[in-house]
Formats: sequence, C-alpha cells, structure tokens
Amino acid sequence: MNLTFTEEQEELRASVRRFLTDKADSAAVRRWAESDEGYDAALWQQMAGQLGLQGLAVPEEFGGAGYGLVELGIVLEEMGRTLLPAPFFGSVLLAGQALLHAGDEESRARWLPGIAGGTLTATVAISEEQGGSALESIATTATRADAGWSLSGTKMFVVDGASADLVLVVARADDGLGLFAVEGNAAGVTRTRLDALDMTRRLGRVELADAPAQRISGDGDATELVQRVLDLAVVGLAHEQVGGAAKCLETAVEYAKIRVQFDRPIGSFQAIKHKCADLLLRVESARSAAYSAAWAAAEDLDGLPVAAALAGSYCSEAYTHAAKENIQIHGGIGYTWEHDAHLYLKRAKSSELLFGTPGRHRARLADLVGI
Amino acid sequence: MTETIASETGARPDYRSMPDDEFRAALREWLATNHPGRRPKGSNDERIAWHKAWLATLFDAGFAGPSWPREYGGMDLDFGKQVIWQEEYARARVPGPLGTGLGIAAPTIIQYGTQEQKERFLAPMLRGDSVWAQGYSEPGAGSDLQALRTTARRDGEEYVVNGQKVWNSSADIADVIFTLVRTGTQESRQNGISYLLVDAHAPGVTVRPLRDLTGDAHFTEIFYEDVRVPVANRIGEENGGWTCVRTSLGHERAAGAMNQAAMYRRVLDELVELARERGLTADPLVRNALADLEIRVRLMRYAGMRTISDIEAKGEPGPASSTTRLFNVIFEQDLHEVAVDLLGEYGALGRNDPNAVQRGRWVWGFLRTRASTIGAGTAEIQRNTIAEQVLGLPRDPAMPPR
Repeated sequence: MNLTFTEEQEELRASVRRFLTDKADSAAVRRWAESDEGYDAALWQQMAGQLGLQGLAVPEEFGGAGYGLVELGIVLEEMGRTLLPAPFFGSVLLAGQALLHAGDEESRARWLPGIAGGTLTATVAISEEQGGSALESIATTATRADAGWSLSGTKMFVVDGASADLVLVVARADDGLGLFAVEGNAAGVTRTRLDALDMTRRLGRVELADAPAQRISGDGDATELVQRVLDLAVVGLAHEQVGGAAKCLETAVEYAKIRVQFDRPIGSFQAIKHKCADLLLRVESARSAAYSAAWAAAEDLDGLPVAAALAGSYCSEAYTHAAKENIQIHGGIGYTWEHDAHLYLKRAKSSELLFGTPGRHRARLADLVGI
Repeated sequence: MTETIASETGARPDYRSMPDDEFRAALREWLATNHPGRRPKGSNDERIAWHKAWLATLFDAGFAGPSWPREYGGMDLDFGKQVIWQEEYARARVPGPLGTGLGIAAPTIIQYGTQEQKERFLAPMLRGDSVWAQGYSEPGAGSDLQALRTTARRDGEEYVVNGQKVWNSSADIADVIFTLVRTGTQESRQNGISYLLVDAHAPGVTVRPLRDLTGDAHFTEIFYEDVRVPVANRIGEENGGWTCVRTSLGHERAAGAMNQAAMYRRVLDELVELARERGLTADPLVRNALADLEIRVRLMRYAGMRTISDIEAKGEPGPASSTTRLFNVIFEQDLHEVAVDLLGEYGALGRNDPNAVQRGRWVWGFLRTRASTIGAGTAEIQRNTIAEQVLGLPRDPAMPPR
C-alpha cells in the first residue's frame, strides 16, 4: 500500500486548488447553491474542458484520461474544501463508477463520454422512503417490458435526483437486484427536489410509475455490484470529508490567531490550542483512512469493503467534529448565517447520514473482519 | 574495554551496500539463529546478565545501532534499511535495549559530545556493557522541566551535585545516569542547566524504587548527596544543557513507526479473542467498541506507513507524525478500558486473585496506561506543542519563554 502522492498527483491537487480558489469563493458558492440550477454551467464546462476533471477516472476509450480513484479522490477532497455545488459527486463518482463497474459495454459507450465531457449529468438512486442503504429491503420493482424493463417505486435522498439527465436505479427484478438506467425526462418519472439540510448538495425524490428502463447490470442478482457502488460512494465522500475537515481546522486556527479577547489572541489559550491539536489528530487520521480506501479502490478491490467501512466511520465523525469545533472556536460570529461555518456543519452532518451512518459502518466492519 | 571494542569494530561487517532484500534475509536469518530463547526465570541479576549477553552478541555481529555512525559501533544504515532493521527486530521478538540511553542520551552525545566522550561512552552503551538511565524530572519539575532544582556546584575539575530526581526507569540497574542539573541561578531557567553524566555507583547516589499505582515499582527516585562528577562528564557547554536535551538522530524513531502498530495489532486480536471466549461478540455495543479499536489500530499502521514513505520521498516526516504519539497513547488507554468493561465484575478483581482473568493483564494494563498520557510529556503538553509548532498558534503569554 502506498499512501504518499506522486509529484504528478500533487500537481493535480495544486491545479484543482488554484482553480477553485480563483473561481469558487464563498460568495460564488452561495450564489450557485441558491440558483435554480444549483451550479454554474460555465464553470462546469471549464472543469471538463480546461482541466478534464469529469473524465479523470473515465477510461481513454470513452473520452477520459484513464486515471483511477486516487486521482478522483484528490479532486473530491479539493471540492470538499470549497463545498463546490456541482453535479460532480453524483455524476462523476456515483454514476461514472457504477457504469464502469457494471461492465456493460453498450451503456458505457453510450453514457461515459457524456459524463467525461460534462455534457451529461447522471446519478445513482439506491435509498427509498424508509431510509438507510439496506439493500435487502429495496422495494422498487423492475418488470420485463417490450423494449427492455419497466420500473415502479419511489427513490429518496437521490443526489442531484431532481436534475440529473440520467438516473441509475437499483430495483428488484425476478432474478434479484439489478441496476437500471432511466432517463430523467422519460415518461412515468416524477422528480421533486427535497429541501436538503446541506445547501450545497441537492437531494431529490424520484417516483417511478412504469418508467422505461434498461438493465445495465446484466442478468442475475447484482447485490455485489450495488454494494461496490455504495463502497465507492463512501470512499468518495470520505475524501470530501477530509477536505472539509481540513478546511474547518485551517479556518479555526486562522481565526484563533487574530481574534483577541482579554488582550490576547484566543489561540494562546490552552482550551483553544487543545481543541485545535485534537482536530489535527483527527484530520490527519482521516487522511490515512480516506487515502488507504482510495488505494484499495484502485488496487485491491477485495480490500475495498473493509477500507470503505473504516473510512466511512472515521472520516464522517472527524468532519462533523471539526465542523462543530470550528463554530465553537469562532464563537458568536460562527453562529451567524453570514459566516461559512454553518455550511460546513450542514455538509458534514448530512454526509455522515448519507450512504450509511458511522455506527452502521462499524457494524459492517465488525462483520467483515470477523469480530 | 574501549580498546577491545575498537579492534572488533574494525572487523564488523558493513551492510550499507548490500541490496535491501539481501540485508533483510541476512538479518532475519541471523536473528533466528542467534535468538536467545526465553527470558530465564531466576533472579533479577540473572535476567540482566542474560539480557546483556544478548546485546553483546548483537553488537559483536555488527547488527546493533542501525542509525548510529559506524565509528561508534553502529551500522550507519540509510533510512530504508533502518525500517527493515526495525521490522525484522520486532518480528524476531528478541530483547530490546536495556535502559533508556540508546534513544535519548546517545543522539545527544553523538551531536554534542567531544571525541573523547564519544569514544568512551557510546560503544559500551550500545553493547550493553553499561546501562544508562535518565535523570530529568524532579518532584517540583515535571512538565515545567526548566524549573529543575538539582544543583551542580563547580569545585575545580569536578561538580558537586545535590538534589532529587524522580520517575527514572532502569535507574536501579544503571551504570550511568544522564542528569540535568542547575549550574546557573534558579531564575536562569533553561539558560542555567547543564547536562552531566553521573556514575550511578558513585558515593552519594541513592536509588530507591518508587511504587506506582499498579503496585509495582517500574520507576525509581534518585537522591544525589554531594556527588562528585568530573567536569569531563559534562556534555555540551556549562549552562548549555537545555539545547542538548531534545536531540534525535535523523529520523531514527520514525523508522520504528510501524512497530507499535504491529504490537497493538496483536494485543487487539487477543482482546477480540477474549470477547469471543466470554460470549460477548454478539452484543452490538461490544461489537461497536471493538470495531472502533480495529479502525484505530489500522489507522496507526497507516500513519506509520505515511511517515516512513514521506521521509523516503521528501526527507521529512510530514504532519501525520506529529500526532502519532498522542493518537497511540489515547488508543492504548481506550483499548484497556474496553477490555476491563468487557470483563464486567471480573474487571473489579486485582491480579493476585485466583479468579482474575488472564492473570489480571487487562486490569493491570488499564492501570499502567494511566502513565501513557503523563510520562515523557503529558498529553496536555503534547497538545500545546502540536498547536504551537505544527499549527502555529501563539504562545501563552503567561508561560515563561522557551
């Protein structure tokens, strides 16, 4: 296992950070988050054209650069730092990786070039109304129809679910779970935007009433594939969480250096120092967790389930803790709407609850390592 | 003694140019062939003699002191080979160093000692012929070590040392006590401290066992009463001892970054086995606690890997290493607390009770690890250091300058 980045990877990080620092400051992030589209289409095109970010982990034959989860993780970490509102997580990580791992050549050739080029947005829909990502309780049905499949059921908490051009839906067929491609504007699809806690990441409800679909997971039960997609989602999220947590720590430290009370910077008080030191410990440990999970996703798929459960548990809690401490260290100003601290808290808490809670991740880890 | 070693060092094999995999194989085979076996049961003296014999065997074969210069009996290995040495040494489960000189005093002597001092002290320390113990803390100088009051008054070519030290491990078996003394005024703080090597057998030196909360005596108290120490035993300048205190040799400690992780991997496996034996692994609360420890023991290993590969790639250990110690001490406390909780009422038994589980090792560990966040810098001091030196937070104006 190698947890140190190459020079090329460090350059990727630096260029994404430069780009986002230039283009996506707090005011822009808030403006895009509050806009109808939820993101900036021009920036999205620049990301695809200028930097090639959407195609980074897409194979070259489908218009991408052919890198893997380690590089994608770097980009997600940087986006997590800035809370960039964009369909990147849903389209590039969730749908892009689902299409890749599903192994269906036709669907790859049809949609991956659009994802890589930033001309198509996509997402994956797993959870339903009862919440949670327990695959055995999925109730959305898939029945065979003339030109493919027909889906019925309700999907909830779908990242970018109300806007994505393509929704990859997990549904139950006569031969087990399958992954199905449904076009967002197809007949029988009703989509509603949910009022999400996290302003910077949109969630949707997708109702399917005999919606036409294509099966991309092949015949037979695809539980293993869906579980892998969930694991990859958790790994991607873990990188965002590392980026967000590191940003919270940096912001808190900078503020503690300049905020003066009792005639001294509050960062000179041990109460504040100790919080910051503990945050660094958590941020650095979260890095180890996320980077080792990306390595597993890229190099050791057998080790991915444990690595994802580990990262999902640790990084989720580290980020929420960092976001809360950031507000606490800022005091009153941290409680205002104007300050960005609450945006990070909301991103942190909702990330902790999507794709499995820390407790669920630990329960799974215990099963996987034979405790 | 010095001459014998000097003539032997000339003949010691040099492993520096050997390819890494060959070096690993050679060391592994040598350790397997020369393993001293189980520690003898007999008296303390017998065990020490057995331990010293092992260290001498290791030294004479040229396998001691991976980071040390060759001229003082070391191997002068590059960082990659130091990591291999640490891995193989831990894997072989052979006795470690005796006393605390190797990791703490030796780097100071290598950096600040005179040629005469290096030749006189280093090889015998490495060979285990002389055992070294640290004399830093005092009853009134713990975290605030700069307030130490043990005095050394100059009298011709000697110092006369008076005072008390505490929390010294291995002082009862030591030959040399590396001691911080006050040669300046009490108000001079770090500018009036000198670094002396005190002969532990000299008249006026009294070492007493200090019984700690576990009931054992792992540490001692040292009393100095008009102890005469030659000026030639001072490392560095008079009143210049403070700058010598925190010396380390390259990144030698980081080379062993994986060892503690490997050790705790074993301990956690034993704890999981204990939970299984007691029929507790179906309890969701127990599973959650064990999974949390599993996560942290893996992260400990990853942090070690990151530290090592950062040093290899960039020459510096990176921020992950700054929090490693804090991470590990909190982990070992939590692990033992989970263990004691697992035991339920059996956790309320002392280790001498015949009903004690696994001879009370977990309860003893719970007690012992109270020291983890106190000794060698409290967790609070570590957090201050991380905050100030890594994160750049301002110093507390109420604290004396460093």
